Amino acid sequence: MRSRAAVRALIAAALLVVASPSPAADLQGQPAPDFALRSLEGQNLRLSEHLGGVVLINFWASWCGPCRQEMPLLDELHVKYKLAGLTVLGVNIDDSTERAAEMAKTLKVSYPVLFDERKDVSRSYAVSAMPFTVLVDREGVVRYVSDGFKPGYEKRYAEQLRELLNDE
Amino acid sequence: MMSKRIGGLSMLPLTCIARVRVMLRHVSLLLLSVLALSGAAHAQEASAPVAAAGDFKSLDQEVQALKKEVLDLNRELFVLEEELLFPANTQVAVFVSMDVGEFFAVDSVTLKLDNKEVANYLYTEREAQALLKGGVHRVYLGNLKAGDHELIALFTGQGPHVRDYRRGATINLTKGVGAKYVELKISDRASKAQPEFVVKEWE
Repeated sequence: MRSRAAVRALIAAALLVVASPSPAADLQGQPAPDFALRSLEGQNLRLSEHLGGVVLINFWASWCGPCRQEMPLLDELHVKYKLAGLTVLGVNIDDSTERAAEMAKTLKVSYPVLFDERKDVSRSYAVSAMPFTVLVDREGVVRYVSDGFKPGYEKRYAEQLRELLNDE
Repeated sequence: MMSKRIGGLSMLPLTCIARVRVMLRHVSLLLLSVLALSGAAHAQEASAPVAAAGDFKSLDQEVQALKKEVLDLNRELFVLEEELLFPANTQVAVFVSMDVGEFFAVDSVTLKLDNKEVANYLYTEREAQALLKGGVHRVYLGNLKAGDHELIALFTGQGPHVRDYRRGATINLTKGVGAKYVELKISDRASKAQPEFVVKEWE
């Protein structure tokens, strides 16, 4: 009898998990939380100063393997679409900026790398996995959120970017 | 007298306001019924004896007095509600401004109120330029109870000869009744070729 109740409770809990939307899904369609962070070059960058164009925010960490795979592909997107109005911002969430700076230099990414040492920005974006990519449209609204990275995701990003860049 | 009563009431929680509102509604209903009764009485006045006219007159005055009291109470409640939601007397705002800026390029400002960090703002190139052009930035807005408080402002940036510059300023604030505005002004001291941090309080 008890075991049946336990099974029911488990099923109910599983249903709740499936039914409740993830925090990342909550972010979609919402205005992107504004932030200002220090960059690898030493300047401060603010998201709202890039509105009017499409912004791809990529949260990453030096200990994350898929981030290492993804970052050069994001750099390709940055180079290809920057003249069309794309800004790529890499937000690092490491506790120490030294390793992150070293990795960014090794990977030779040309887009701005920012440091979220206080983790305020990753909290406001409800970052739940590494890497975590957010696409913000010209109006400053979060349109696409993607967690993790697998080969082929870059094609999806390119499609989504083109759609947002073509938006009037 | 009025302000004293409001001051006393302002200690009440919002649930009490809700109760007072319900009471007020009841009083209004009562008033309406009394008004309706007095209206009916007026209708009968023509046929009523002349002696009763004095009674109706006093009833009319009572109704008017009651109506005035309800209006007063309503006004008092409105003021109280506004005071609780937007307590201007506890409001503190801190602004940052810059003058000339030859010896200092601001990078960030961190504010601590009574040893608790309340604001940390990073200035972008554009924002720093806006400050230099006369812009004033409100870096913090919050509530503070009356009494003495310590405000610590920590500025980071580039000082003379493009060197990293870090400077703290401690301000002892006395918060009285009414909103308090503090301006942190970064200016140049040409005689020492150094930046100067001036604190100005606005009441």
